[in-house]
Amino acid sequence: MPEKRVVLKNCGVIDPQDIASYLAADGFKALEKALKLHLKQVIDEVKASELRGRGGAGFPCGLKWEFASKAQGNEKYVICNADEGEVGTFKDRYILENDPFSLIEGIAIAGYAIGAKKAYIYLRAEYHFLLDLLQNAIAQAKKKGFLGHLDIEVREGAGAYVCGEESALMDSIEGKRGEVRYRPPFPPTSGLWGKPTIINNVETLTNIPRIILNGAEWFGKMGTEKSKGTKVFSVSGDVAKPGVYELVLGSPLRELVEKLAKAEKVKTVQIGGATGRIIPYAMIDASLSFESVLGAGAITVFDESRDIIDIVGKTMEFLAEESCGKCTPCREGTEVMVETMERLGRGEGLKKDIKVLEELAETMMLCSMCGLGQAAPIPVVDSLEHFRGEYENRIRQS
Amino acid sequence: MNKTGRNGGRGELLVLLEAAQSKSAHISRDTITELAESLDLSIGEVYGVASFYSFLSTKPQGRNIIRICKSLPCLLKHAQTIIDSVRQEIGILPGETTPDGRFSFELTNCIGACDKAPAMMVNSDVHGDLTPKKIAKVLQAYK
Amino acid sequence: MALLVTLNGTQVRGRPGQTILELAQENGVDIPTLCHHADLSPLGACRVCVVEVEGSRTLVGSCHTPIADGMVIHTHSPKVLESRRVIVELLLASHSGVCYMCDKANMCELRKIAAELDVGLPRFQVRKHYYPLEDVSPYIARDLTKCIMCRRCVRACNEVAKHDVFAIAYRGFDSKIVVDFDQPIDKEVCRDCGVCIPFCPTGALSQPRETKTEKKGKPLVVTS
Ligand SMILES: Cc1cc2nc3c(=O)[nH]c(=O)nc-3n(C[C@H](O)[C@H](O)[C@H](O)COP(=O)(O)O)c2cc1C
Ligand code: SF4
Ligand code: SF4
Ligand code: SF4
Ligand code: FES
Ligand code: FES
Repeated sequence: MPEKRVVLKNCGVIDPQDIASYLAADGFKALEKALKLHLKQVIDEVKASELRGRGGAGFPCGLKWEFASKAQGNEKYVICNADEGEVGTFKDRYILENDPFSLIEGIAIAGYAIGAKKAYIYLRAEYHFLLDLLQNAIAQAKKKGFLGHLDIEVREGAGAYVCGEESALMDSIEGKRGEVRYRPPFPPTSGLWGKPTIINNVETLTNIPRIILNGAEWFGKMGTEKSKGTKVFSVSGDVAKPGVYELVLGSPLRELVEKLAKAEKVKTVQIGGATGRIIPYAMIDASLSFESVLGAGAITVFDESRDIIDIVGKTMEFLAEESCGKCTPCREGTEVMVETMERLGRGEGLKKDIKVLEELAETMMLCSMCGLGQAAPIPVVDSLEHFRGEYENRIRQS
Repeated sequence: MNKTGRNGGRGELLVLLEAAQSKSAHISRDTITELAESLDLSIGEVYGVASFYSFLSTKPQGRNIIRICKSLPCLLKHAQTIIDSVRQEIGILPGETTPDGRFSFELTNCIGACDKAPAMMVNSDVHGDLTPKKIAKVLQAYK
Repeated sequence: MALLVTLNGTQVRGRPGQTILELAQENGVDIPTLCHHADLSPLGACRVCVVEVEGSRTLVGSCHTPIADGMVIHTHSPKVLESRRVIVELLLASHSGVCYMCDKANMCELRKIAAELDVGLPRFQVRKHYYPLEDVSPYIARDLTKCIMCRRCVRACNEVAKHDVFAIAYRGFDSKIVVDFDQPIDKEVCRDCGVCIPFCPTGALSQPRETKTEKKGKPLVVTS
């Protein structure tokens, strides 16, 4: 299954500074079409497309919109998650850099569908250099009269990966520490300032104009049974051609890693960044889909010269540094894992370490309050499944 | 102003802290005290928010902040050599500020430029595809 | 409208809006809690109160999760007990208190829960939370080496005493309950208050020892 530019169709084609070039590429036709439909029809179309969130969790987009649209109250919010902090992810940056208008159009359609008058784009601090471009694009869309129903404001993060987590993100917009909230209630019922809110990833929202314009049926022809459409991947690490690639969902990992990114002598691939899966080369034919492996589409490739203990240790270090610290399993557990991996790396591993790591992992996955702590042990669990020998050797040599 | 208000109130705290950070390269005690007073929050609350985010600093910083990415995709592309060359070039360790106040030096997590690894930020500029040789030239532009 | 819930195999009735913890308590089922306190708003931070709800991928915090009709709940399944043990073990692993030297040992909820769950010496090796003793205030002493970040003091000060002395600073493992710019507690509003002290489940907050009135041992005089 080939590369296919659906989300990225305008990237490198239009001028991101100039709305005229976007309009020439069917820009804002989807919004015009949506505004003529009843908002229920818009939501039904998104539901029928079976579009699932591209920010990592894969929640059905249309369903989320429906919850928010049915929620009580006339103050509602749309949030575009442009926090993109997952290690090895840069596809949202690429979309923002090259085609901010498609995103704005997607947000405008979302706002109409759920009845929001205000939208926020939460942009990570590291992408401050994109602020002017984004604000310029919003201003042009406004001037052309496309944003009569919705005010879009860009809010900047200040350096915290956990603020990509939806509830922490909302607390951050509210001017607080970016700490996670317990759920329920979920954002479509009680989100920003306790009001019904939808939060969607940049790539999810960029899919929306394509779906509205071409129809759910067209969209559903791409992909697998449970993963419709395409996915934009960020490929980095030990590859000759790192970069952004868009593939139809269900494509084999091998095509992306070996054929497109030109990796050689692959030992392992981390899919989905620090909270993603670690799979050995033997599984290189896995399909890239929600049914199999996907995450937010970060693909980090490691060649045969790399040490698994080191990879897992660095990954845990990231997670411990970025834990919000609210709940016990993640706050304390990530630190225990960091120190254990460091000891293993120094050759001071103990025989009991593997078992202790596994039991700790189980509790962190089951009890942490948010996806960070729940997914934090995955690198440990996966590497113990596929590279257990390396752990055992290291401990034996200690 | 109200405590929970969307505009002008508490909801603006992070925006105001970010503004203070970019104006004076750090968030001083005076700023925190003033913000706490004007938003009707405790000093601890404002300090707590400021200390949560890694791009906000409550200690004085240099005029330019170098942040080298230390996440895996950059490390695979020899980020350590970049860290070493910056260290040599400006003579300080990560976490420190040069005596002339020109640079502060930090290591940071993935900055979303892994396709141009190894990468670093100087202030809000992203520099990618770095080599030790390029460092002196890149830093020259920041006075 | 009553909600029908299966609690440890028994059908019980609950009210909408009731949490799993409240329902359990009403039916005589004891679930351990640390960050939760009936007089404070829920927080969900410690995770000691987790229970198993059928159909849920993860365990859920019983102190903040409302019951739903048809819910099937297990409060003491092996999975739940094992998780609670690991959580308490984690709290103890970085806790540098020594119980036999701790003033609050007899009232400490952490120690009590550890005993109930049969948690022995923690297996986890991790650095300890270490902070100097704060004893400048005549009204409150803080020993944050014993703090488990349950934030009960923060909420008690806010919600019960209607002050805002405490806040949370930093993040992750380094997060800490602070006063102002992370200074030792010495606030005038704390005079005649002390509301937070009994809310603290550990020995982290206490009334300062009144050293002046304390009997000093007499020097031993040896006559020959
Ligand atoms: C620790 C953590 C970090 C996250 N970071 C991001 C992020 O940077 N961008 C994003 O879109 N979603 C991120 N998510 C997922 C969001 O919580 C949320 O599911 C997503 O924004 C929903 O949008 P979607 O349904 O369109 O994917 C993160 C989740 C967790 C647990
Ligand atoms: S899992 Fe980690 S990041 Fe999430 S709430 Fe708990 S401490 Fe915070
Ligand atoms: S606070 Fe509790 S657990 Fe800690 S030392 Fe005191 S009695 Fe022991
Ligand atoms: S000082 Fe006591 S009440 Fe406050 S967070 Fe620490 S353990 Fe909880
Ligand atoms: S790992 Fe360095 S920019 Fe992503
Ligand atoms: S008592 Fe429920 S999470 Fe702490």
